[in-house]
Amino acid sequence: MVLQARNLTVSMQVNGEQIDVLRDVSFDLQPGKVLGLVGESGAGKSMIGRVISRNLPKQFAVTNGSLVFEGRDIIHGADTLLASLLGKRIAFVPQEPLTALNPLMTIAQQFGEHLDRNGVAHAHQLEWMINALQEVRLLDPKRVLSSYPFQLSGGMCQRVLIAMAFISQPALVVADEPTTALDVSTQATIVQIIRRLQKDHGTALLFITHDLRLAAHVCDHILVLYAGEVVERGPARAISKDPQHPYTRALQAANPSLDGPLTRLPSLPDNMPGISGFSAIKGCRFGPRCPVGDSICCNAVPQLREIAPGHWVRCSPACQHAEPSTAPLIEHAAIRDNGAVILNATGLSKHYESPRNWLGRRDGPGLHAVRPMDFTVRAGEFVGVVGESGSGKSTLARLLMGLEKPSTGQISLDGRDITDTSQQTTQLRLDTLQMVFQDPQSALNPRRSVEDLVTQVMESHLKAVTPEARRQRAQDLLRETGLSPELIHRYPSQLSGGQKQRVNIARALCVTPRLLIADEIVSGLDVSVQAQILNLLLDLKAQRQIALVFISHDLSVVRYLCSSMVVMRHGKVVEQGPTEQIFSNPQHAYTKALFAAAPPADLDCVWPPEQTSL
Amino acid sequence: MIRRSPRSAAAWQRCLSSPRVMAGAAIILILIIVAIAAPWLSPHDPQDQDLLSVLLPPFWMADADPRYPLGTDTLGRCILSRLVYGTRIALYVAGLAASGAMIIGTVLAILAGYFGGKIDWLISRAVDIWMAFPPVVLALILLVGLGAGVNKVILAIVLIDWTRFCRVIRSEVLVTMTLDYIPAARLLGFSHQQIMLKEILPAVTPLIITMLSIEMGIAVIVEAIMSFVGMSVESNVPAWGVMIADARTTMHQAPWSVVFPIGAIFMTVLAFNLLGDGLRRALDGRLVQRNG
Repeated sequence: MVLQARNLTVSMQVNGEQIDVLRDVSFDLQPGKVLGLVGESGAGKSMIGRVISRNLPKQFAVTNGSLVFEGRDIIHGADTLLASLLGKRIAFVPQEPLTALNPLMTIAQQFGEHLDRNGVAHAHQLEWMINALQEVRLLDPKRVLSSYPFQLSGGMCQRVLIAMAFISQPALVVADEPTTALDVSTQATIVQIIRRLQKDHGTALLFITHDLRLAAHVCDHILVLYAGEVVERGPARAISKDPQHPYTRALQAANPSLDGPLTRLPSLPDNMPGISGFSAIKGCRFGPRCPVGDSICCNAVPQLREIAPGHWVRCSPACQHAEPSTAPLIEHAAIRDNGAVILNATGLSKHYESPRNWLGRRDGPGLHAVRPMDFTVRAGEFVGVVGESGSGKSTLARLLMGLEKPSTGQISLDGRDITDTSQQTTQLRLDTLQMVFQDPQSALNPRRSVEDLVTQVMESHLKAVTPEARRQRAQDLLRETGLSPELIHRYPSQLSGGQKQRVNIARALCVTPRLLIADEIVSGLDVSVQAQILNLLLDLKAQRQIALVFISHDLSVVRYLCSSMVVMRHGKVVEQGPTEQIFSNPQHAYTKALFAAAPPADLDCVWPPEQTSL
Repeated sequence: MIRRSPRSAAAWQRCLSSPRVMAGAAIILILIIVAIAAPWLSPHDPQDQDLLSVLLPPFWMADADPRYPLGTDTLGRCILSRLVYGTRIALYVAGLAASGAMIIGTVLAILAGYFGGKIDWLISRAVDIWMAFPPVVLALILLVGLGAGVNKVILAIVLIDWTRFCRVIRSEVLVTMTLDYIPAARLLGFSHQQIMLKEILPAVTPLIITMLSIEMGIAVIVEAIMSFVGMSVESNVPAWGVMIADARTTMHQAPWSVVFPIGAIFMTVLAFNLLGDGLRRALDGRLVQRNG
């Protein structure tokens, strides 16, 4: 047994009150096996990694249970014991590879330090490093070693960290969301490298992720966490084929699929309670959101029951078998050729000049953020723009919105030219076009109340608006975006992530635009909240006949929402057309690679594929 | 009913529970009361000379005269009364000079940070050049040009110290400009002026308040220096710097006549700095601290 947890409980002290942020967690991790910890943000999944590294935040402490690594108690053991294990017998692969490496040291220096700690003689270090980097398929190890972290891509840094983690032949590797901060196309490669090294070395892997589908492909066993509680535990295949707990089911259903018929995503109400809300829930912590829960669950915490060998569920028998009603099908009507064109861009491009040096010359060729492209949005049409970071998709949004001046090309709105960014065209845009920004945290002024935020546009109009009219409008908008009108007096810091994103959308809807431009608006959200927002967008389409340019890196979400799509790479459009056509028959190699990078819903598919190359 | 955003409510709470803020504010409040109530608090007219009782010691020493609790100076003027009236000059200069520097500095900082480009370049270079002059020399040059007088001192402080505000607030504006709510406001049809006043100004207000408090302490010191060298108030107006200058010659016989005005300056500056430092911690500004 590599790692064994028994009734592990981590608590937080708040005003003398003890709140369990991780309750009664038990699991076994055998050598050479992969255990997945799956849960949304705030579920407590990272807490276990922090217990292992003794890196719990202040006020948090292990209050009950045990965590044993190879027969040694790592909760009560001496600090020296832990120091002798970390980085040697236990290794970590972090979430943010770029911040995990020291920007002032070359890879060789950092790797060398790590080898020093592991007692590798200086004479052999170079050889070790080159071998290790070749194992993670870095093609030019010498160049990588002499580079600084910022000279490498996120994926390359992550590979270096994986190589470092495995170099000491550890018994346990803890990988906390190792692919979340990376581009989609690298996800498959990174997962594949971790898997192969783990198999070759017989290492046990603790794989922490929010993505149930990814976990199903990577892990042998899965632990699903909700609000600090294990709701389901068992073999990965069993859980993803036939999830038993209502939460696991909801989690799986909330993820739009990449193939098959499109059905409306069932979405859970509200969102996971925060730590301060835990103590108010007496029974099952999922109770308040459970679609099938009854009064029994809400009053007593259900025990884990073994429903099949090794498959445990924390739910009463009554709840577990109640099937949610089947969801209605979604039809993306073919609007392609008959709707009126709202927005049309031809030959649109953006080139950033490199700055002039002191002689007035330009040092480099600059950056082609967007190469000349044509782009059309028709009334009521949802267009997806897919690409990775640096593909120019956000620049495209800023060009369409008039936040940047295009280098070449024309943009017209309802047939009127709005290419320049003058006062007049801004006014033209304002009535038709609105933008929803990616991160509501930064897009909502923390000093404005929800009422002031959603009706902010009314402040800019010259004609006076009465406070009553403004309040009325704010309440209407909140209702339309599925928020309680009582929230008008709240401030962004008092809202959850999903609520903030709804406010963000409501603000853009205030002018009744006919076209919304949404830049990665669901990428920062948990899947269950993402489903709520996606459904909200579909409802808006049905009610308002609104059109949408939906920028995303997530193919499944684009398929769920959009009838046509554009795939961008390095500022260039590589493929463009109706969504179904591209999904069923991708033409460009890059599009194909993007598809290969997403874990399929079908568990019998071998994923990640043995060779993924870009 | 006034609704306060949770952010400002929390900041308010932190201010109230901060010993620095409370101590600083308490001293400043006392100083303000003293300044307003000067005619009632002072036992004598600050200019009345009593040449029969010069250089009297304060009350706890032998030979003290109960009519002069803190003693008298070389001309037999009541030190307590002069100290009390000196508070008026100190607070007058602190309030006006710091506010003036704040207004000029903040306006230019927001313009520079918001518009960027050439405007930013011009303003930032002006600040750089301005700051390259040693402030005391610059003040003396200005006062020689403008002539002496307390209002000239205020003008000099404003003209010198607006750069301090400008530089620090500009960087805070730049941080705010990276947040998406600024382009969002543009897309909602806000004019430049509206964005600057409604979105950016509130974001930098905590920093402005903090800096204002510290600048007031600086202004008190500068005024004291200027009145010490006779560039500020006329010689018949009681000010702490004037008192030090007057007592300088008899420092060895009557040290208290120097100690009291120095103590008053010390307490005032300490109070403003405590308040400013406490506010900085409570309002979480990224203040680049410079002590002048």
